[in-house]
Amino acid sequence: MTPLSWLATAFILAGLFFFVAGTVGLMRLPDRLSRLHALTKADNVGLGLLVLGLLLEGPGLLSGIKLVLIWLFVLVASATGAHLIAKRALRGDGEDAR
Amino acid sequence: MTRSKPTLGAGLRRLVLFAGAWLVIAGTDPTSWIIGVPAVIAATWASLHLSRRAGGSPRLLAALAFVPFFLWQSLKGAFDVAWRVMRPRMHIAPGIHTYPLRLTNASARVVLLDTLSLLPGTLSADLRGDVLTVHALDAADGALLDADIARLERRIGALFGERRASVTIESEPKRADVPTGQDTDAAQA
Repeated sequence: MTPLSWLATAFILAGLFFFVAGTVGLMRLPDRLSRLHALTKADNVGLGLLVLGLLLEGPGLLSGIKLVLIWLFVLVASATGAHLIAKRALRGDGEDAR
Repeated sequence: MTRSKPTLGAGLRRLVLFAGAWLVIAGTDPTSWIIGVPAVIAATWASLHLSRRAGGSPRLLAALAFVPFFLWQSLKGAFDVAWRVMRPRMHIAPGIHTYPLRLTNASARVVLLDTLSLLPGTLSADLRGDVLTVHALDAADGALLDADIARLERRIGALFGERRASVTIESEPKRADVPTGQDTDAAQA
């Protein structure tokens, strides 16, 4: 293995750590709103590090841009989704049985 | 909200952007354009007719300066939440906090809501009128939360060239706190 692919592996493992942390938060945190914190923050950085690691493996220009785009879209989608879930939960006018 | 008339320039810019996106998605195989050309035209049409932002886009230089700030803060946010939940006894005091928003630009508000959720400890939960409701993993110190949100508000105001946010912060330090006990979800769990 070249030094570059060692570095890539390190980034990917660091990304996995944040995915595990996000999942642990999802299971341990006490309420809906707190769980959203774990999912938005930890998973986004997890995916970012994963993408960074994969970029170091030299996927070529088009695939590289595609990876970065995937990360950006997931960022926007998860922040927006978290906001919508939180808004519904706070206003209490969703479909949840209380 | 005002809705600007789609111009030829804006249409061409989007056409090129979506064509680039198709190239990234589908690769360089020329036969992919059989589907790609109609898709790109449809995307351009839909985007011109659906977008009704009144606020315009961020300024380029300010946006470039925002990127490292955003990356560093989201890394801090992820470490913060990982550290809180991985310890044997979780270090949290979740609660709701309200903040009087000064940003008026519609695009800037969307950026603020999404960015706030990725920064340490805060999640933008609701926005009614000018009142931003934030859920915090540690809502014990309301003044600290206010300072964090105000700093982000100032940065995003600068991103969209809105000066008002930075002027009013020192002159009127108003805030409204709601005690942490009001988080009904936490109380039930």
